[in-house]
Amino acid sequence: MTEQEALIREAVAAEAAEAVDSRAVLAALHAKRSRRRPLALLAVAGLTVAAVTAAVVLAPSPAPRPATLEAATPPEPSTVLLAGLDAAGHADSVVLARVGADGSITAVTLPRDAWVDLPGQGMGTLSSASDPQVLVHAVEGLTGTHVDHYATVDLAAVAAVSTVVGGVEVCLTAPAQESLSGVDLPAGRSTVSGDQALAFLRQRRGLPDGDFDRMVRQQAFLRSLAAKVLDPAVLRDQAKVTAVVDAVRNGVHTDPGWNLLAFVNTLLPNANIRTATVPHEGTTATESGTALTVNPAEVRAFVTGFQSESPTPSGPSDVAGGDCVN
Amino acid sequence: MRDGYDRFVADRLDRLLRYATAITCDKHLAQDIVQDVLVRARSRWGRIGAMDAPYLYVRRMVTNDYLSWRRLRARRDVTSTHAALEVLSPAVPDHAERHAERDAMRARIAVLPRKQRAAIVLRYYEDATTAEIGQVLGCSEGTVRSHLSRALQTLRVNETSPSEVLR
Repeated sequence: MTEQEALIREAVAAEAAEAVDSRAVLAALHAKRSRRRPLALLAVAGLTVAAVTAAVVLAPSPAPRPATLEAATPPEPSTVLLAGLDAAGHADSVVLARVGADGSITAVTLPRDAWVDLPGQGMGTLSSASDPQVLVHAVEGLTGTHVDHYATVDLAAVAAVSTVVGGVEVCLTAPAQESLSGVDLPAGRSTVSGDQALAFLRQRRGLPDGDFDRMVRQQAFLRSLAAKVLDPAVLRDQAKVTAVVDAVRNGVHTDPGWNLLAFVNTLLPNANIRTATVPHEGTTATESGTALTVNPAEVRAFVTGFQSESPTPSGPSDVAGGDCVN
Repeated sequence: MRDGYDRFVADRLDRLLRYATAITCDKHLAQDIVQDVLVRARSRWGRIGAMDAPYLYVRRMVTNDYLSWRRLRARRDVTSTHAALEVLSPAVPDHAERHAERDAMRARIAVLPRKQRAAIVLRYYEDATTAEIGQVLGCSEGTVRSHLSRALQTLRVNETSPSEVLR
């Protein structure tokens, strides 16, 4: 480095040192923010959405931070079970999510038809667990993982949110018409809300891959929904935010000891989220219909391995609309 | 979103302010720009925060804001004021010479054309490569080299008469 360059460095550094105190700027930023801060509960909407399939959605955390803006404390590692419930209260989608100390999230989907030991009930599918505690114990037994907390979400609440935001775009590879769910949608893109949204989320009969197609549908729907809910235009619309929160509020239940909002606030935005479905071995006929066989030892190894893998950088997750699904 | 944004602000605000002050040579303008940019970045944080290097992107926003037509029009021309004042004020006897030299250099940098000054700050304060500077300024590496060499030329030419530009 030449003498002149050294001098330039010193001069530029001296100039930079003139900068105003950053606290003045922080104060100004906070003042601007507080005027248009969306309700903290909106985060729950994000979580709700994630709860049903742990798509890509655990993103936003609009709760106020301390004015000092000190570096956030890293989240306590914790494992939570999220279950989407159908109208009868059966677990329709079951996701085991783990938040690591570095804030990264892994979400393992367990098929609703997995044939497992339901403590106190005997063998049965996950969806036939009689209450959330049974479900929690069954998942703990199957995965060898301790579940710290659980939340259940009514699928209907998710559909209601889609109505509030004016519908959600989905795309089908083939027309869907099926009487049990009541779905009636053309191939290609359509915007669904209300009953059709619910039917889209629920249909599993008449799909090439049944429950698995439905999981994919739900993930696509939730990505699309999340993009809509998290749209700044929606976030700034107080009436919409309130409506979303209302739609969500009655549809979400957690275990009594869990402060869901506090939990959501420990989540990092844009956290690295990895999703996977546990391995299964095939189907088996049972007295209550066809179930999926799972090997607990394999599931345990899979879950442990998946949760401890170092996260790979994920691409942008703002795939509004998503790809077309069955 | 807010969380990562807050973390970014906590980690990077100071550096952004210093950088902006260095390119603008005006701490109040720097404050305005950084504030505006951070408010804008917040609304798009989902995208920005997902980038490999959010800081580089925000730094580019700051630079562009400064170089923008809007700022060019709106800004009263006070760029060299405080640097100039320091040069003109009597130097303190001890450690005086190096200080005087440095402040003279500050004054010369302060009156460089904006893009040249931004290139100098990126090179000598942010240690950016020519390619990185090109990305920030939105020009080719060749143009960056030309900005830098012209700036260095000016700073060198004036070396013998430090306060010439101020008169």
